[in-house]
Amino acid sequence: MKAATWTGVNEVSVEDVPEPTLLNDRDVILKISQSVTCGSDLHLIGGYIPFMRAGDVMGHEFIGEVVEVGKEVRDRKVGDRVVVAPFAACGSCWYCKQELYSLCDNGNPNPGITEGLWGQSPGGCFGYSHAMGGCAGSHAEFMRVPYADVGTFVVPEGVSDTRALFASDAASTGWMGADLAGTEPGDVVAVWGAGGVGQMAARAAMLLGAEQVVVIDRVPERLAQVRDNVGAEAVDYTTTDVIAELRERTGGRGPDVCLEAVGMEAHAPGAPGIYDQVKQQLRLQTDRPTAVREAIMACRKGGTVFTLGVFAAMVDKFPLGAAMNKGLTLRGAQVHAQRYIPELLERMRRDELVTEHLATHVMPLTDAPEGYRLFKEKEDGCVRAVFLP
Amino acid sequence: MELPAIVSRAGGALLSTLQHVRLPGVGQASVTDDPTTAAHRWRAVTVLKAPDQVGSSASPPPPLDRLGDRVEVRISAAPGDKGTELAARFLGTPTDDEIGELRAALREAKQRLETGEVLRVDPQPHGFRKPTPQGAALEGMTDQADKEGVL
Repeated sequence: MKAATWTGVNEVSVEDVPEPTLLNDRDVILKISQSVTCGSDLHLIGGYIPFMRAGDVMGHEFIGEVVEVGKEVRDRKVGDRVVVAPFAACGSCWYCKQELYSLCDNGNPNPGITEGLWGQSPGGCFGYSHAMGGCAGSHAEFMRVPYADVGTFVVPEGVSDTRALFASDAASTGWMGADLAGTEPGDVVAVWGAGGVGQMAARAAMLLGAEQVVVIDRVPERLAQVRDNVGAEAVDYTTTDVIAELRERTGGRGPDVCLEAVGMEAHAPGAPGIYDQVKQQLRLQTDRPTAVREAIMACRKGGTVFTLGVFAAMVDKFPLGAAMNKGLTLRGAQVHAQRYIPELLERMRRDELVTEHLATHVMPLTDAPEGYRLFKEKEDGCVRAVFLP
Repeated sequence: MELPAIVSRAGGALLSTLQHVRLPGVGQASVTDDPTTAAHRWRAVTVLKAPDQVGSSASPPPPLDRLGDRVEVRISAAPGDKGTELAARFLGTPTDDEIGELRAALREAKQRLETGEVLRVDPQPHGFRKPTPQGAALEGMTDQADKEGVL
């Protein structure tokens, strides 16, 4: 079968690879209908997460049809149209029982790598390096999904593939941030990053009752989507002093909730951006935390900052003093998608949550290298590239 | 031994070393132990099952039982309704390979008890593996990954 694979730093190739097989009794095999690029893939492509092996199949946000089921699968059958959580979670460990699915104790067969890096191992993510379990990704014609009863969700009639596709990660990640940050009616919520996750975080905050939602980015097409498709306010940080703007919009308080949806390759203009780039390239820090720093400084006293963007290890010049003295709550997580997908699919069915506009570039899987190039360079208004195997 | 095998073995050794490094922001708790003390520590997983479902010190769950009388096993209720702590330590002075064997056994016992299976990832689809030193080192790491870590 055809699959899009990581073949080296800044190299994605489409190759012929063997078809997957059932490996565990709780597995299903899916025929992938759509699989989409995610901003976190760019960290793999850029070589910032050095646990990819040449030939690894990428992709973790996808929808497909069940074509084969393991003998212990109870709730899925051949022919089901399902959207799938990016993290393989067993559903049986203490973390899964707390609905912290991306922390599953049993979903990562390579715990020794991440325990060394982080002290404990999170769960395993499809197509996201051997540090995160090494399970093959979804940019392929077929894919094996373990723990299928826990991680796959039947898509309701009337919800299109392209809409449901984003329940997998972008919408569930955004919703998780707004929810776990404690967004309440009347809150002011600021979101850094107007990609798929940032837009969905903004929409989630609105649906949870936020009074004002402001999204910060620099890409005109994305800021336009924030205004036109999400219904939130948009701020261009290249032409606006973000912290001053947020202070002015909030009566001097700052946002109640700050959601960071940028991650470890944040762009920053001027000297601060150069400083972070140099330190990252010299391996004196692994991640560029520009947006997190700004969120901490902007957040109101006693507010919450939630990091949705992916970070790998260490950052420099982290304003811990501001976080402590302002009494902030800092949180972050990989997506606990299993917790949110059922509700998101229902909201999609009711047209409360619309995502099709994120799929700016829909193309055959064989065009995946070009899709990633457009996505990485943000060319031609690319917000997400969707691959059709 | 051919060069790729040497590099692969070096990757596994690197992963082992990573568990024992303390740099600002990187490292783990037992690093200040001398090797003998570290080797004799209890190593434990918490299983979301009642203690009687996990087993007993005299009859530990598989595959931990294969370590026989080389290890002492302790099974006790975890606080806060978190299940059962399944712990083991060597009676003699173990080698690094034996400690790795114990880590893997504890993890596998937990998985079997909680999920009824051991998650597999191989074989699975992949494209052409370029024979690079970095790739060989990573393969060495993944070969050792169930036997390493802070456990």
